[in-house]
Amino acid sequence: MRGGWFKVYALAYLVFLYAPIVLLPMFAFNDATVIAFPLNGFTTKWFSEMWVAPGLWPALKNSLIIAVSSAVIATALGIFAARASTRYKFPGKAGIMGLIMLPLVLPEIIVAVSLLVVLLGIGMPLSIFTVILGHVLMTTPFTIAILTSAFQSLDRSLEEAAYDLGETPISAFRLVILPLVMPGIISSLLISFTISLDEFIIAFFLGGTQVTLPVYIFSQFRFPQSVPVIMALGTILVALSILLLSIAEYFRRRGIAKSGGKDTGGFL
Amino acid sequence: MIPKPAVSDQTMIEFKDVHKWYGDYHALRGITATIRAGEFFSLLGPSGCGKTTLLRTIAGFEGISEGVVLIDGKDVADVPANKRPTNMVFQSYAIFPHLTVAQNVGFGLRKQRLAKADLDARVAEALEMVGLKGYGARAAHALSGGQRQRVALARALILKPKVLLLDEPLSALDKKMREQMQVELIKLQRQVGITFILVTHDQEEALVMSDRIAVMFEGEIAQLSDAETLYRRPNSRRVADFIGTMNFLPAEVISETAGSIEVEAQGFGRIHVDPKQAASEAPGKSASIGFRPETLTILHEGQQATDREVGATIEEVVYYGDMTYYDVKIDGTEKPVRLSMRNVFGRPVLDIGMRTRIAWSPGALVLFR
Repeated sequence: MRGGWFKVYALAYLVFLYAPIVLLPMFAFNDATVIAFPLNGFTTKWFSEMWVAPGLWPALKNSLIIAVSSAVIATALGIFAARASTRYKFPGKAGIMGLIMLPLVLPEIIVAVSLLVVLLGIGMPLSIFTVILGHVLMTTPFTIAILTSAFQSLDRSLEEAAYDLGETPISAFRLVILPLVMPGIISSLLISFTISLDEFIIAFFLGGTQVTLPVYIFSQFRFPQSVPVIMALGTILVALSILLLSIAEYFRRRGIAKSGGKDTGGFL
Repeated sequence: MIPKPAVSDQTMIEFKDVHKWYGDYHALRGITATIRAGEFFSLLGPSGCGKTTLLRTIAGFEGISEGVVLIDGKDVADVPANKRPTNMVFQSYAIFPHLTVAQNVGFGLRKQRLAKADLDARVAEALEMVGLKGYGARAAHALSGGQRQRVALARALILKPKVLLLDEPLSALDKKMREQMQVELIKLQRQVGITFILVTHDQEEALVMSDRIAVMFEGEIAQLSDAETLYRRPNSRRVADFIGTMNFLPAEVISETAGSIEVEAQGFGRIHVDPKQAASEAPGKSASIGFRPETLTILHEGQQATDREVGATIEEVVYYGDMTYYDVKIDGTEKPVRLSMRNVFGRPVLDIGMRTRIAWSPGALVLFR
């Protein structure tokens, strides 16, 4: 059988990747406090318990505020950086771009500790705001990577054509550049939102008394009786992530079809 | 048929000693030229000669380092691209892919805030002018190359600019489409009467389309004249080499008076050349005599030369259907020259190795020295 071993390998790979995620809903609907086989029968009580769990809703609210804010700020910064790096030549460009991309490879714990030292040093109180700052730092490299490829595929003369037809640089950007890079902007927003939403280390270090969803989940694992509730929460988060990524992919494909480009994979 | 309108004497664009530096690179080296209103003007040259840079200084996409550019008598140094009375057809056409054909064509009218009916009428009129009637609702990215080209033209012409700039607009089309568009562009230019400035590296395209042509090399205009003068009387060896085919034979200047230059030319003997037929030779080379393939005639048997004749041997024959190219060695010369003959019905194509006679006249010869 040709490629037989590759098929086995691919199957093992998929099981390794997705089995934990499949277990999540299994135990979320299992009528037992202990996470172990055999399953004990179907129940939805963990979901209703989750609904009234103390501390969950404030954590979710914090997470959403942080994720939306850092996605918007990081994407806005990414637009400027991507535009500058694709359109202009300036001294030290490679070095500056390298520095901006550095958080991508720095250990997150180092970044979190350094930020904490700096914030405490300047006497800024820890809050949602400081978590947003940290998340913007972490997600901006991703937005730049996504948006640079969006800006790079633009024909420079499109912008010149808009000037030539009487538009100012600002209106040309709004009427021509923005619509054409919009799929990139949407993917950048969704990716940075997702990264921020499940980020733990920075949220844990810089959040102070403000708890985000990942920090809440981590804290709940101390109590064995809340583990099934976390499973229920995890199930909902997985479902939402799949939905979000599908929407992002839909927009990306529609954007490509609209501008007549060729689909070359994309980030998602 | 639209008769060719007389090009006015009015100046539309004037370059006065224009220089452009990119860092250390001297892209434009003192361009001085005028382009007349209503003219079909071409900037012709090899890639990197500065022709596109010069066009972009008119559009306002490139600033200049020194000198003055006047459009319709007005110094445009401080006028940005979006305020200039020029519109451009880009090499890549730059059709906005997210808009329909009609939205593309009407893009420049946005600023005028026309009523919907007026806008639609203007767009329909512009589309009809370029032969795309009824294409308005189509998505721009679904068009073929030739159709994109037409949309780009309509989009630029709908604003009724004083000058239309065309940056190698036909280079992306196949040969047949290109030839068709050349004719259409000429007709369109006569119809609208707008000054057209075309950038091209294709000498044939420039000869076919232009009222006048500026041949550029290395940031300088080498010759600026109408097509026929450029072809018949190139002012330098370099221009002669760039435009069409020209044969060169070694020559020596014997004496020179105001009205005539006496030359000893290999193969042709001692001749007198009109100083108007004299051009500059490439640096480091001695003088030579040049002539186009079709200016000398291979005589068939019994035919009398109208002026003078020399003997020659046929060395190579290339048959093209309507034409035949012959490489012939004229008696007394060392290397063969290329001649072209129209294939007249009933006259046989000559063979390699045949002896023949060639008719020539001094008027066909250009002296390079």
